[in-house]
Amino acid sequence: MSTRGIETDEQQRIRFQVELEFVQCFANPNYLHFLAQRGYFKDPAFVNYIKYLQYWKEPAYAKYLKYPMCLHFLDLLQYEHFRKEIVNGQCARFIDDQQILHWQHYTRKRVKLLQSQAEKHMMTIQNEPTPQKSV
Amino acid sequence: MTSHKSTREVLLTCIDEIEIIAKELLDNLIAQKQQKPVSAEHSQLVELVLQKDTDLKATLKLAEEQGVLQQKVVALETEVERHDIEIRNLQKQLKEAEQLLATAIFQAKQKLQAIAKANSRPVNSEELIKFAHRISASNAVCAPLNWQQGDLRRPYPTDIEMRLGFLGRLGEMNVNGHISFPELLHRPNHSMQQGSSVPNSQAGTYSWLSQNDLQMPGLSVSHLGVGGGMDHKTPKKENEDVDVMSTDSSSSSSSDSQ
Repeated sequence: MSTRGIETDEQQRIRFQVELEFVQCFANPNYLHFLAQRGYFKDPAFVNYIKYLQYWKEPAYAKYLKYPMCLHFLDLLQYEHFRKEIVNGQCARFIDDQQILHWQHYTRKRVKLLQSQAEKHMMTIQNEPTPQKSV
Repeated sequence: MTSHKSTREVLLTCIDEIEIIAKELLDNLIAQKQQKPVSAEHSQLVELVLQKDTDLKATLKLAEEQGVLQQKVVALETEVERHDIEIRNLQKQLKEAEQLLATAIFQAKQKLQAIAKANSRPVNSEELIKFAHRISASNAVCAPLNWQQGDLRRPYPTDIEMRLGFLGRLGEMNVNGHISFPELLHRPNHSMQQGSSVPNSQAGTYSWLSQNDLQMPGLSVSHLGVGGGMDHKTPKKENEDVDVMSTDSSSSSSSDSQ
C-alpha cells in the first residue's frame, strides 16, 4: 500500500465525499439510464470502478449512507445484463415507478393500520350504548 | 377340558338319560302286571337311575363352581379393560408432551441460532439508531405522509440535489482552480441561506453527510483499489455528467394503483 502515491488527508477526505455522493447517485434510476446512454457502462475502467465501489456495503462505510437503496443498484450494476438493459428508457421508467411504489409501502401500511384501528374504535363505541339500554 | 362336552351338554344328556331309564322302568312296571316279573333287570334299571342321579348332582355342583369362576373371570376382564384404557390415556398424554417438547426445542434452537448470528456481527446500538435516524428523517426509505403524485420528492437524490452536492460543485470549482476543502465546507451554507428555490433543500448540501462524518474516524487508507487510476478520471466525468444532467428524462407520474 505504501508503494502508491501518498494521498494527503485532505485528498482522502475529498475522495471519500466524492465517492459517497457518487455511489448514492446510483439510487436514481434516471441517472443510471443517463450513464448508460452515454456509454459509460461499456468502459471497462468504469466497470472496474463500480466493482471497487462495493466497499460501501461494509457496515463501517454503509453507516454513512442516506439512501441505502443505492447498494441494491450497486449490486445490480455488477451484472452486465442489467447494464445493458438500463439503456432502455422503458426499463428505467419501470424501475422508477416500482421504486416509488415501494417507497410508499410503509406509509400505506401505516395508513391502513390507523384506519382499521379507527374503525374498531368506532365499532366499540357503537356497541357500548346497546347493553345499557337492555338493562 | 376341551375334549369334554360343555357342562351344559353333560347336564342335558344326563337328564335325558334319566328320563329314558325312568320310562324303561315304568314300562317294565306296567309290563310286570301282564308278564312274569323280571326283577334282575328291574334292580339294574333302578341302580342305573340312582347312578345317573348322583352323576347329575355332581355335574350340577360342577356347574355351580364353574359359575363362580366365570364371575371371577368377568371381574378380571373388566379390570384388564380399565387398565387398558388408562394405559392408552397415558400414551396419548406422552405423545402430546413429546410434541410440545419437540416444538419447544425447535424454537429454542432457532433462538440460539439467531443469537449466534447476532453475536457474530455485533453492532453498536447507538450507531444503529444514528443510521436509522439518518435514513428515515429525510424520507429516504419511507414516503412522507402527505406525499401526492406530482410531489417532487423522491427516494433517491434528484438531479437538482446532485448538482448542489459536493460532486456537482467540484466541477465548477476545478475550472476556477484548486479550491481548498474548508472553503467548500463553508460555501454551501452561504448559498443555502440565500434561499434556493429547491423544494427539498431542507438539510442543505450536507443532507448526505453531517459535519461529524467528515472526520472519518479510523477509516483505513487501504481503499486504493482497482480504481486507483480512475480516481483522477471520474471526478471530471462526474462534473460532465452533472452538468449535462438537465437533459435526462425524469418520469414524473408514478402509477399508484391501490
